[in-house]
Amino acid sequence: MRPFTPPDPKGMRDYFDVYERHEPQMNEHLMAVCSRIPSLAQVIKAMPKEQLEAQRKAGLQTLRAGCVDGNWGPLLEQQKVQGAMYANMNIPFGDWYELISAFEKVMIPHLVTAYAKEPERLSRSLTALSDYIDQGMGFIAEEYLKVKERIINQQAEAIQELSTPVLQVGERLLLIPLIGVLDTHRARSLTESLLRAVRDYRAKVVVIDITGVAAVDSKVANHLFQTVSAAKLMGAQSIITGLSAEVANSLVVLGVDVNRLNAVGDLQGGLEEANRILAGRGANAHTDPPAP
Amino acid sequence: MPIPILQLRDTLIVTIQSELTDAELSQLRQDIAARIGKRAVRGLVIDVSALDVLDSFASRTLVGIAKVSKLRGAHSVIVGIQPDVAYAMVQLGLTLEGTDTALDLDEGMELLEQRKQARRGS
Repeated sequence: MRPFTPPDPKGMRDYFDVYERHEPQMNEHLMAVCSRIPSLAQVIKAMPKEQLEAQRKAGLQTLRAGCVDGNWGPLLEQQKVQGAMYANMNIPFGDWYELISAFEKVMIPHLVTAYAKEPERLSRSLTALSDYIDQGMGFIAEEYLKVKERIINQQAEAIQELSTPVLQVGERLLLIPLIGVLDTHRARSLTESLLRAVRDYRAKVVVIDITGVAAVDSKVANHLFQTVSAAKLMGAQSIITGLSAEVANSLVVLGVDVNRLNAVGDLQGGLEEANRILAGRGANAHTDPPAP
Repeated sequence: MPIPILQLRDTLIVTIQSELTDAELSQLRQDIAARIGKRAVRGLVIDVSALDVLDSFASRTLVGIAKVSKLRGAHSVIVGIQPDVAYAMVQLGLTLEGTDTALDLDEGMELLEQRKQARRGS
């Protein structure tokens, strides 16, 4: 974002003179416009009359500071705060544009009437006004996006944490229920948290339940293999449960080596098998000896 | 410096403390093969928990050691592969096919014990 360059001071001053003269009607008109835009109407309704009035006066003061005294700092600060506020209140950015264009529609005729006999002044004040609005909108938009981005990042982190829970369901037995789409990023974090959990809980058997995984393609299958192999390197066996008919079908169609996965129909069966392995007599326990 | 090979009853214990060169790994394989023959060794545990990387040569040598010791009559277990190492290994397609792995030395000893009983039972 380029730094703020103050608009033409003379033009701004002329604009402000006209604006101040018509300020009461302008304000009334804008309030009427706001009440027709649902998101903004809600905000205004929520504010008491005195607060609106105070805000209006303060706004005029900061505008005067910028236009007349050339002190733009407070105004820019105010715009940043506004941008952040709209983002936090979930006001669509388009609504704000609607308000601005309503403002311009009324403001420009006022300027034209005031400076009709002085074309140069008129053009200067119009240029300054549009420069001011463009830059102001830029500032508000930037702040708006910043806040939105922060919200999105927070949510992504929350989802990330939720996405791969590792549960201890018994002595040396872990359960990982997988739900949703297993993409590369998630598969990686699944593998990492699984391996860490194997070490921390000294797990011997891990049950991975994929009932909630809608589709399995060769990439996902490959991820599962990798996870299973990595767990095995750490001395833990994995059992995959909850393969739906479609998933099983697509695995076979993909030509996946099914023997590499220790698959059990449902979660209950998987836990039973896990307990058998832990007791040292698992049917598919390839690293465990047959029962003596 | 040769890697120390400890013997605990009928089991050999090898702890790899630091990154080994290819030559040292080959030497280790020969040393172990010789030691297994000398006394009645029935088991071998190789602890790699101090390593933060296991490349293809190292894992091939470990598989080789497991096979050699099998031929010499000892069952071997590789223990202590760290999470990051395990993940990196499967990314490279190194899965130590045909060898037993366990979480740590304790687990490895238990696994060997189970194997021994199974052999006696059958």
